Amino acid sequence: MSQTLETLIAAERRAQRPLLRRAALYAALVAASSVVLLGLSGWFITAAAFAGAAGTLAAQAFNYMLPSAGIRLLAIVRTGARYGERLAAHEAAFGALARIRPALFRAIAAAPVGKALALSTGEATARMIGDVDAIETRFVRLSAPWGVAAALASGLCLTVLGGALAALSTVACLAALLLTARALSRRLEAPGRAVQTAAGALREEFAQAIEAAPELRCFGLESWAADRIDARSRTLAAAQRAQANVAGWFELLQALSIALAASAAALLSAPAGAEIAALAALAAAMTLDGAAPLLRGQIDRGKMREAAARLDMLLAVSRPERATAMPSDTPVLTFHQPAPCRVAPGERLALTGPSGAGKTMLVETLIGLRPAQPNQITLDGIDLAAIPLPALRRCFAWVPQDAMLLSGTIRENLMLANSETADAALWDALRDAVLDDRVRALDRGLDTWIGENGARLSGGERRRLALARAYCTPAPWLLLDEPSEGLDAVTEAILANRLHSRLDRTGQGLILVTHRPKLGALCPRVLAIEPDRVNAPARLVA
Amino acid sequence: MNAITSSPALARARTRWLKGVAADGGRARGSTSLLLLDTGAAIGFATGLAGAVEAVPSIGAMLPWAALMALSGGARGTFAMLATRVGAAGAEHAKLRLRRRIVATSLHRAPGSTATTGTLMNAAVDEVDAIDGYVARFLPARQAGAVAPFLVLAATALASPVAAGILFATLVPFILVMALAGGAAADVSRQQFLALSRLSGRFADRIRALPVVLAFGAEDREAAALGRAADDLARRTMRVLRVAFVSSGALEFFAALSVALVAVYCGFNLLHLLPFPVPEQLDLGRALFVLALAPEFYAPMRRLAAAYHDKQSAETAAERLAALEGERQSPVATVPLPRAAPGIVFDAVTIRYPGEDTAAVSHFSLDIAPGETVALLGPSGSGKSSLLHLLLRLAPLSEGAVRVGGIALAETGGVATIAAWVGQSPLIIAGSIRENLLLACPKASPQDLTRVIHAAGLGPMLARRPLGLDSPIDARGGGLSGGERRRIALARALLKSAPLLLLDEPTAHLDAQAEARLIATICRARAGCTTLIATHSERLAAIANRVIRLGETA
Repeated sequence: MSQTLETLIAAERRAQRPLLRRAALYAALVAASSVVLLGLSGWFITAAAFAGAAGTLAAQAFNYMLPSAGIRLLAIVRTGARYGERLAAHEAAFGALARIRPALFRAIAAAPVGKALALSTGEATARMIGDVDAIETRFVRLSAPWGVAAALASGLCLTVLGGALAALSTVACLAALLLTARALSRRLEAPGRAVQTAAGALREEFAQAIEAAPELRCFGLESWAADRIDARSRTLAAAQRAQANVAGWFELLQALSIALAASAAALLSAPAGAEIAALAALAAAMTLDGAAPLLRGQIDRGKMREAAARLDMLLAVSRPERATAMPSDTPVLTFHQPAPCRVAPGERLALTGPSGAGKTMLVETLIGLRPAQPNQITLDGIDLAAIPLPALRRCFAWVPQDAMLLSGTIRENLMLANSETADAALWDALRDAVLDDRVRALDRGLDTWIGENGARLSGGERRRLALARAYCTPAPWLLLDEPSEGLDAVTEAILANRLHSRLDRTGQGLILVTHRPKLGALCPRVLAIEPDRVNAPARLVA
Repeated sequence: MNAITSSPALARARTRWLKGVAADGGRARGSTSLLLLDTGAAIGFATGLAGAVEAVPSIGAMLPWAALMALSGGARGTFAMLATRVGAAGAEHAKLRLRRRIVATSLHRAPGSTATTGTLMNAAVDEVDAIDGYVARFLPARQAGAVAPFLVLAATALASPVAAGILFATLVPFILVMALAGGAAADVSRQQFLALSRLSGRFADRIRALPVVLAFGAEDREAAALGRAADDLARRTMRVLRVAFVSSGALEFFAALSVALVAVYCGFNLLHLLPFPVPEQLDLGRALFVLALAPEFYAPMRRLAAAYHDKQSAETAAERLAALEGERQSPVATVPLPRAAPGIVFDAVTIRYPGEDTAAVSHFSLDIAPGETVALLGPSGSGKSSLLHLLLRLAPLSEGAVRVGGIALAETGGVATIAAWVGQSPLIIAGSIRENLLLACPKASPQDLTRVIHAAGLGPMLARRPLGLDSPIDARGGGLSGGERRRIALARALLKSAPLLLLDEPTAHLDAQAEARLIATICRARAGCTTLIATHSERLAAIANRVIRLGETA
């Protein structure tokens, strides 16, 4: 099932409909009350002037209560409605974002493995923050057209008092404003994209220079690199300036259209009298002013499109899941390449070979982090490629070579493997990984924060925590990639013993990559993988 | 560690720093004048409107006033547009200068700097860009905001001192409310910023650890947890906004109130119905003028409020950038190193990056004879690269001593002058292969080039290309294999004829055959040099005179 950003946003628009409706209603109220407030004030003052000039009697007879109360009421309504609009629109936007963010994560996780793992953290975060922010702006702006409509409706009601021509001129001014803004926003798209491209080029040049710091220093190229970055920086600044210049036209456009609408309305409604002329002029001005939120949206259109396009790229790559074959709960594992080797449930097999021979690659293939070759490996006789990834991954409890921990607490790391593990089972797993004493000595025990990728632990501790994590899931096979690297001999011996009795207890099978004899001794069988000749048969040492 | 505390001293330092940066965008001040002219044009518009309505019903008499209205409108737009342009130009200037400073700092950062490529990139690109809105919009809006309301007030006072008094009176409670709400909003918005960066941190972390998340089938659970975190962020944000919108609501309210009060006052004055005596009697023209001008009184403050976000992001950026600039390496007086293969002594060396709990290297001792090849072997994170970086002063010497050719490392200012470097991702620029080689030594003769091309084993690769040395390559090294890139770096190193070769994982990510060929080349190329190789390849290590195993301790 492939989803696009548009379907996602459409679904959220449905979900947030009550809030969005409220925001639209408030936006309309704001615009209408602004128009009526100024129109009424103009009329009130002009009418009052005439009544005042006509003598005390006329002044006494002038109904000032209603308009002056109306003016105060409108002022309060406008303020309240603006507050309400902002709250409702933002609440809708954040509600939507809170679902769009996890949807993006799901999309990334469901992408074909190669693509998902190629996404750099920096890039992913940039999209999650910058681009998702653009969506937020889009949600907040959804009420803008309603404001324009309400401004137009109330503006028409007022200006039509000055005659059809006055009303028509206001409509014409608004239409001209919106059409010109549309054309301008098209012109903004090119500079908008230029900014994105230039920013990307700057980032690349900068990253290259930083990563090549030792080379730059050795060859005395630091100022050379700074100059190259500066050139990119200038290109970006020029693009940003071009963008600001086009945005400046919006300011001119709006101010000019307001003045034109006001003077045209005043002139055309003059036959209806000064009160109505004042009312029409001010109402026309405010009608045009009501389009301001929509114009701001137009300025950002290029940026939003760019953001949407990038998010769409993330969402579009969902994986067609055709595999349906299911292995049993305790499957038989058979390697066909690099060497034929059948491993029965509960058996223990060591993978050996010099570094670079492809042992880790094989492990990652088993766990479905690399695509398997056809007929390379089977589970219960089913080709690996034909097994749905979730089912395949349930068969193995994996300890990666570089531990790979979450930045979180020890408990969070263990529960990643199995969210329903009781505390007792967590401590069991830590004990078998020879880490229980260390964790018990920590101030906050299982709830100790271990830093980014376990930075507060030593290398050996990180590996043992990864091992304990694997112990938390009841998969039929343990899949350990160099779990005892960096351990001292005593700890390694304890770890090997406890692993042995754990396997006896659980009946789990073991696939072990190791160079170290002590752990290797756990495995009666060895699959030796030869480097260089990836397709050549490997030796099976019985 | 509390990222949201902001002591007054810190705030002052930040303001000083920002002032220095903004001074580079001097032209932005022109933007302020333009904003003041905009207010002047608004006064013209109000005059035109009042005149036109007074002239009703004579269209002939109305026309000049209507023209004034339209012209003032055009002028307002033009001034606003120019203000945008001038502001952007000034900001461009300030940004370019600041970015040059930050790039220079990044390239010469002190060895102890904890900044990663990611944070440096953020600083040089995004945080420098955050200065844009501050210089282009906030500063002009603030300067104009201090003057423009009083221009409006003065113009109003000419027509009606009492109306001006009313406007002024609404200002006092407005400032009180803004100060209260603004302070609260700044606090919560800092917390909000923290919450957002936690959420993005969590997202980045789960992307980094995606392989294990997938392997344990935890993607749905993690997505749900992210959703909860995002929901939590949404709730927090709404709390922030409720407060933040109160301040903009206050602005709105007082703006609307001032219009309403002025309108009602003018109306009653015109009707002679005011319940209290006033020293003025308005006519229609003056009343309308005052009414049309009333919203302009608050307009500069609304502009300032709209640019407030720019100020906050600039201040956040300023804190980080100022801290980063503090990490710049101070140049040291250096003793020149002789251009001969040096002996290197590491004596109980500890490398500890600031803020790290564990040292990257601790109490490491090694005595390397001139011309010797030493391989540092160990898993990633065991401090191999840190030792090489230490020699170039890219990593801090926390304890112990290093002597190169008998001279203390600190006195030499690093070994850069006599060293050549080959890493796992060599610097490749868009240009010809020749240009890429000549980076190391622009004045190298063709004979020199031929010699190093042969020595680095680039011959067969150049022979395959019709343009040979002048074959173009793009910045991603398009068309070059991993091995070929390392060979280019190796040739560069040889071109410098440096007596010290530093090789950092030169064979990483190569297939076995390519690795074997490159090892043979390195083996020939290192003749006469002191060579230090950081690697986890046993095969590469085998060419060394000595192999030092850097293990981890459990």
